[in-house]
Amino acid sequence: MDKRANRIDRRCFLKLLAGVPTFVALRSVGIVYAETRRYGKLVDLGRCIGCKRCMSACKRWNGLIVERDELITDRETDLTANNWTVVNLLFDSRNRTRKTYIHWACQHCIKPACAGACPVTAITKLPGGPVVINEKKCIGCRYCFQACPFKVPRFDFEKRVTRKCHMCYDRIPLLNYMKPACVAACPVGALLFDYKDEIIREAKRRVQRRGGSSYIMGLTEAGGTDMVTILPTIPQDLGLVVAPEKVVNRNLDKIRITAAGFMGASFLTALMYIYATLTRDKQESAHEDPD
Amino acid sequence: MRIQIKKFLDTILSSVEGSPAFYVWISFLTTLVALGAYALLMSLIHSMEILEFYTNIPWEMMVSNYVFLVGSSIGLCLVSSLGYVFGLQRYEIIGKRALFLALITVILGLSSIGLHLGHPVRGAIYNALTPNMGSAMWYMGTLYPPYIAFIALWFWLLARAELAKTATESEGLKAKAYRLMAMEGLKPYLYQRLPLQKLGEKLNRLLPLERAGLGLDSDGVELRWARIIGTLAFIYALLAYTVEGSLFAHTEARPFWYGALYPVDFYLGASFCGFAWLLAAGIVTYKVKGDDIPAKLRDLFYEMAEILALLLSVGLLFTAYKMGHGLFESAKAETIMLLLKGPFSPAFWMIEIAIGIVFPVFILLYSARKRKMAGVLVASIMVLVGYFVKRYDFVVASQVYPLIKRQYPLHSYLPTFMEVLLISGIIAALLLAYTLGVKFLPLKEEMPIPRAITK
Ligand code: SF4
Ligand code: SF4
Repeated sequence: MDKRANRIDRRCFLKLLAGVPTFVALRSVGIVYAETRRYGKLVDLGRCIGCKRCMSACKRWNGLIVERDELITDRETDLTANNWTVVNLLFDSRNRTRKTYIHWACQHCIKPACAGACPVTAITKLPGGPVVINEKKCIGCRYCFQACPFKVPRFDFEKRVTRKCHMCYDRIPLLNYMKPACVAACPVGALLFDYKDEIIREAKRRVQRRGGSSYIMGLTEAGGTDMVTILPTIPQDLGLVVAPEKVVNRNLDKIRITAAGFMGASFLTALMYIYATLTRDKQESAHEDPD
Repeated sequence: MRIQIKKFLDTILSSVEGSPAFYVWISFLTTLVALGAYALLMSLIHSMEILEFYTNIPWEMMVSNYVFLVGSSIGLCLVSSLGYVFGLQRYEIIGKRALFLALITVILGLSSIGLHLGHPVRGAIYNALTPNMGSAMWYMGTLYPPYIAFIALWFWLLARAELAKTATESEGLKAKAYRLMAMEGLKPYLYQRLPLQKLGEKLNRLLPLERAGLGLDSDGVELRWARIIGTLAFIYALLAYTVEGSLFAHTEARPFWYGALYPVDFYLGASFCGFAWLLAAGIVTYKVKGDDIPAKLRDLFYEMAEILALLLSVGLLFTAYKMGHGLFESAKAETIMLLLKGPFSPAFWMIEIAIGIVFPVFILLYSARKRKMAGVLVASIMVLVGYFVKRYDFVVASQVYPLIKRQYPLHSYLPTFMEVLLISGIIAALLLAYTLGVKFLPLKEEMPIPRAITK
């Protein structure tokens, strides 16, 4: 009887042993399949000429105002509630003569940390790829800004909500596969919009053809992003902080930290209890005092 | 010379109440509150930009002020639970003052964060409708309202009997107001309108309230209920403040905040803030009123001063550990260096460490031994100032370090003028609420009446 049970156990174990790799394989197939359904944006900095047409197209489509002089070529600009994408000139810190333009916007993380932080689920990752803030729901707490590894969302002081690039999700289904405004406006083909797997393949092809020290940003950063950028050199040299390779939005990690807090709380309670028990005598005598 | 100065101060302080100085104080605070309201109104009419100007530093002084005030409230709740939850009778006398302070600090702290939100009303609605269970901020929004309710109820249970007594002793409008506050006269009214008798019987059958001494008409029922509500408030305080620390500690993209140390650090801070608030507020009130501090309370104050010194030394060790530990993590080290050597170092070494921790420890120990109230008072105010600055540094320093472009200089940050107005309005509202509370509510350190009855 015992033996039989054992045998079944062993069989079970073997099944499990076979099952794990199958599961892993199926999972990765699932991920790959998802990539053929999801859009991505490719930014090829090797081709960018810094004309800022993407910026003005973005402003036009999304009805954003021109704040100052941000549309002038080579003028340093920061992301704001009205600049959802910016083009800046960066220097290679190892070789100051080498400059490159960078087109910077929300990276549309595959597992967005901003969405994990938003208390009212105003941020969603659409199945098609864009990470979108619902401005009717946003309460303006700016926690998403703190959580984002790329520091992208910005607060609109007039509307009192947080705004950022939404990959023109309102163009894609509406006009039956049109490109985002910035991609459509780029005169030199530095921006590309396609299914994610195509994007990755194209990025690798371009890097291979070009050779040298090109680096593809977005494959592993923050667990992978749907905006993929080809940099002429590694991000550190350009003064871009490399986002951590792992996914930033991990619930287990959050639980770990909160659990540490609970441990602190229990410790405190225990201390208070000990203090109360040890010094109770004092109070008895104090109470005996004729008042 | 010293004695003369002391005498002079004492005469001024003791003649304050009912004198011009009292009205000057009240009108000074009211003016500050009005200026704060003006700043708020302007931000509503024009743009929020006048309050919080920096796009790169999304959480500013309003958030640090909030963390400070709410931490104080939690600390005060912990101190009063020493009496009512952990059964230390000598702490029961300070319960009312502690709870009233806890109530106003948490309410003003939450209004500080509420004004920082773009859409506070929307926040309340969507927090309930579309929760995000993975976000610490959601838990925060969910845990504080019940916490406030429990604290308020707890305070009311302790103060009710005295309010009712004041009501019977006075007449006219005052009596009416006190009757309302004590909810006297509500009972017969409710009995008339609602089938309370039946409900009560049913409840008694379901829960043996009567037998547990919790029935409506038993002796000392308020005290027993105060214990129950106090326990609930204590639990909620711990939950809420854990989440508060985690809110910062979860943000992996802000290396300085990230990690398991901050939730613990928040508790330490809260506990010494609670003691410091109580010492400062209690001693000042007695001094200003010119009353003598009862002997029992005196003993308790010195004991609390010693505990505060102990907590502060633990806090110092913890700070050293936190900073040292952080220096070995490359991501954190740069922000920590801002505090140790960079632009935040004067605030860190002078105020956070020296004024906030080291000096008070010595002053507290010395004055507790020599039994000098003034020393305790000065030290506890220093602790509060240090803690305020500590939270400011904590919130701001982590954000001024630019994460995306290293070629940028540090982000600069100074509170805007309107922001300062608003914050001082909030602090003034706190002091005003406390002043009025001392004047009109029974906050004095005496045995709560329910306890006196049971004795
Ligand atoms: S880059 Fe930032 S804002 Fe954009 S999806 Fe990722 S976490 Fe969200
Ligand atoms: S600012 Fe808006 S979108 Fe960002 S976390 Fe807060 S509610 Fe969500």
